[in-house]
Amino acid sequence: MAKPPIRKPKKKVCVFCQEKISYVDYKDTGLLRKFISDRGKIRARRVTGNCTQHQRDVATAIKNAREMALLPYTSTAR
Amino acid sequence: MRNYEMMIILDPTLEERIVQPSLEQYLQVVPSGGGAVEKLEIWGRRRLAYEIDKRSEGIYAVVDLLAEPDTVRELDRQLNLNEAVLRTKVVRPQAH
Repeated sequence: MAKPPIRKPKKKVCVFCQEKISYVDYKDTGLLRKFISDRGKIRARRVTGNCTQHQRDVATAIKNAREMALLPYTSTAR
Repeated sequence: MRNYEMMIILDPTLEERIVQPSLEQYLQVVPSGGGAVEKLEIWGRRRLAYEIDKRSEGIYAVVDLLAEPDTVRELDRQLNLNEAVLRTKVVRPQAH
């Protein structure tokens, strides 16, 4: 019986740690859009590869941007 | 004294040329409370991601302030009472 090959996922490095960004700005919608799905949902850490702290910073920045109508809460495109 | 950053969304029916003077007028409480307006940046008309009060557009402005906490609270209170202001947000970027 052939065992299913064990997938070794490529370890992603947090983009913010790499770029040494300490403050995630909620006004930078171009950057934040990379971390939301086309439905407007925040992407999970296993998708984005961010570290714990930066994922949290991104999430709060997205929520702040949503409050100011810079990003959608939901988008029914599709 | 602390640094604050305030974003203001104004009613899109406001005329373009009165945006700057009216914002300056709202911000008068800052110098009178001993603070300073460091930067006033008007982004202009921008599409909202969703409707606010049946408006699909808004005039965005970002203000950098150096002020006492009480002054900022008073400014925020006054802006929220103002009919021409759709929404405000105050953040402290240096706290991070």
